[in-house]
Amino acid sequence: MNRQQGNPVKSQFKSIFAEIPWTWLRRLTQLVLLLLFLYLFRMTESNGTDHLNAAANIIFRIDPLTSVCTILASRQLIPLLWPAVITAALTLLLGRFFCGWICPLGTLLDVAGHLIPRRLLHDCKVPSDGRQCQPAALTLSKARYFLLTMIMLSALLGVQLIGFLSPFSILLRAMTVALDPFLTWIVSAPFTWLVRYAPDSVTGISEPIFAWLKGHILAFAQGTFLWSGISLSILIAVFALELVDRRFWCRYLCPSGALFGILARFSLLKRIPGRVCRSCQAETSCAEKCRMGAFNENEDLLPESCNMCMDCVSGCPLKRAGFRFKLSGQSAAAPYAQSRRLFLASAAAGAAIPLVARSVSAELPPALIRPPGVRLEPEFLDLCLRCGECLKVCTTNALQPVLFEAGLTGLFTPRLIPRMGYCEYNCRLCGQVCPSGAIPLLPLTEKHKFVMGLAVFNKKLCLPYAKGESCITCEEHCPLPQKAIEFKEVETKDTSGNKVKVKQPFTVFSRCIGCGICVTKCPIEGDAGVEVLRKDAVPIAVKEEYKKLEPSL
Amino acid sequence: MHDDDNKDPQTADSLNRRRFLAGLAAWSAGALAAPPVFNLLPAAAQTGKPVLVVAKGTDYEALVAKAMEPLGGLEPFVKKGGRVVVKPNMGWDRTPEQAANTHPLVVKAMVKLCLAAGAGKVMVFDRSCNDCRRAYASSGIMAAVESLHDPRATCVYMDDRKFLPVAIKNGKAINEWEFYRDALEADSYINLPIAKHHGLARLTLGLKNVMGVIGGRRGQIHQSLPDKLVDLNSVVKPCLTLVDATRILLRNGPSGGNLDDVKVLHTLVASPDIVAADAFATTLFDMSPDALETTRVAAQRGLGIMDLHKIKIVRV
Repeated sequence: MNRQQGNPVKSQFKSIFAEIPWTWLRRLTQLVLLLLFLYLFRMTESNGTDHLNAAANIIFRIDPLTSVCTILASRQLIPLLWPAVITAALTLLLGRFFCGWICPLGTLLDVAGHLIPRRLLHDCKVPSDGRQCQPAALTLSKARYFLLTMIMLSALLGVQLIGFLSPFSILLRAMTVALDPFLTWIVSAPFTWLVRYAPDSVTGISEPIFAWLKGHILAFAQGTFLWSGISLSILIAVFALELVDRRFWCRYLCPSGALFGILARFSLLKRIPGRVCRSCQAETSCAEKCRMGAFNENEDLLPESCNMCMDCVSGCPLKRAGFRFKLSGQSAAAPYAQSRRLFLASAAAGAAIPLVARSVSAELPPALIRPPGVRLEPEFLDLCLRCGECLKVCTTNALQPVLFEAGLTGLFTPRLIPRMGYCEYNCRLCGQVCPSGAIPLLPLTEKHKFVMGLAVFNKKLCLPYAKGESCITCEEHCPLPQKAIEFKEVETKDTSGNKVKVKQPFTVFSRCIGCGICVTKCPIEGDAGVEVLRKDAVPIAVKEEYKKLEPSL
Repeated sequence: MHDDDNKDPQTADSLNRRRFLAGLAAWSAGALAAPPVFNLLPAAAQTGKPVLVVAKGTDYEALVAKAMEPLGGLEPFVKKGGRVVVKPNMGWDRTPEQAANTHPLVVKAMVKLCLAAGAGKVMVFDRSCNDCRRAYASSGIMAAVESLHDPRATCVYMDDRKFLPVAIKNGKAINEWEFYRDALEADSYINLPIAKHHGLARLTLGLKNVMGVIGGRRGQIHQSLPDKLVDLNSVVKPCLTLVDATRILLRNGPSGGNLDDVKVLHTLVASPDIVAADAFATTLFDMSPDALETTRVAAQRGLGIMDLHKIKIVRV
């Protein structure tokens, strides 16, 4: 019985509310925001200038979980992440709307959910006596709080786990390292075939089409990323879970959603009625329709699970279901209580992980170079969200994901692999795109001097040393205004035994910043004749030797 | 006014080139198994001394026209409706003042003259050493060409799929290399290098500018550089070389970066003879014309004349 029937304003609100096509509006919003997200993803690349007009990293800056974990891990307030306060405030007002209307992964899961007909674990079915729900679903829903607590505590104690469990890291990283390169390859392949073999009459049509695709849909260059299968598998697993239950990830696992849910418990926007009507005449009740399984065993709506999709509102044949702003009184739901046992278990896991991970982590290998601006490894590991934005934006495809070279906790963090790409001297895109500041944005003059590593020559491979052949392609490309690679003209023998005069390169360590272009451009097939090593990993003997070659500094 | 030795300098070359292009088309369509062969031709007999123009002035756009005047403007070099490639040095992520790339105003002026001479298409490109998006933008050349707002003039990134292997029959150091299709198919290939320091070659001028239209691992060209450059230059023979010496890079080339290494000269050096252009441009660095081994080898192997006494130098 609607108690507000006597109030004319409120009943006017109710009738206006009932007329708005909420589901249609929600779907439109989801579509528009998904397209925006994909557009931002496409924009996350170099355009030739040092400015990024837009990037997909915005999704991290508005996510409260990212803010919380980054603040806990780094023990400082990070100004970059303040937009999350707005999202959190809106959640207190509107409930878990982010999950239903905004989240790109949520939207994609909804699409997948429509396409996947079978469910292994059916949506909550209400037997005829109107009481018991599937207990499995309820137990599982506690898992997301377990993960949330574990992540937060682990972050506080020094291991940032968000990269593996944040929906945005999972989605963006898989898109960057696997989906996007695959898309570029598979779309380009037929056009390349045509350009090789088809007559001009055909290519006259296909090439302009390809040019348009390259300019608007495809990535600028064919990227390649190591270990892409792993990130892709994680994303596929999230989608595969739709086979088990609709929005499985969102209901049972997503820690960002869990945090939104905790805030949503206090939201002002509440569903009226707060439970399934006893006299429900509909074919499927609200509880059965609910894609989030948000109704508990008493058929009360749990605000921490409701993502405001409005399906129950649109689907109510009597137009009775709706949402109102109500200051007082919870919707008639049982107060949520994460069991003490569960909390202790998740806290224990959160504490144990840093202990285990830190104990097995080893020294960084000498050739593991971090992006420019990264100073201290522990701080970097705390802040890095493993989101893959830097990998995406790197102008030369130099940044690659790490597997376990940096220890267990280094998984998916970025490293510079000079043989694959080099750090462009005037480029600071990675610093601009990093949502947490793990890669800081340095002023250009500082970036020009920041030492990522030092170039060391391998005399067994480097042509002027090993074969008496002239080269110094490395010196040619060194970008420093006063080059960090110089050469000494030396008389030696070539491979045929002839006496030759060759220019043999060496590094001026006081200038080298380890950008790696010398390694990228080295013309030897296979391993380069030069490599970039971490500053502290260059043998002292090498430093002494090169110092002797410098004329005078 | 046409000088006799400038009358259709491409006759002998164009016959050979037409045959080559036919072979290229056949190979691309899969009809031929092997890539087409480009024969190394000795330099066509000159009826008079090759002309070299040295122009000085501060208005760079006007300076290009001034430098081309004694050569008959662009008319001897561009045929009506022809495909022109203007090949600047656009290899580096450097600003015009840093003297690592050809000056954008020089490129713009050259493109404008080609269009005015009736070119059907003028293509500006370079296979840059730094990221092409940065190099094309920082050099100012892409913006300069686009500012002409002429659909016939384009400055676009090079396409990896358009490199084709070319066999060099009488090549001394290399027998085959990949070349960019648009450069091979040009009716007029205009060489627009900047004059600057280079660690290995000592200077990089017109002969070395061909590096921007070849594929493959270019560092391999550094072994036996002089002979390899001559081999490459025999394939894509420029009808005109205009060396941008408006400002030159004295040290730390070819990438530069320090304005202290730049010397402003307000000079352009133009000639149909690429070797003569390089020989003269070398003197701008207070070096003798035969100082570079590449220039000496090119002269020896018949690509042009290095001895400045055998060249008609016109100063404007």
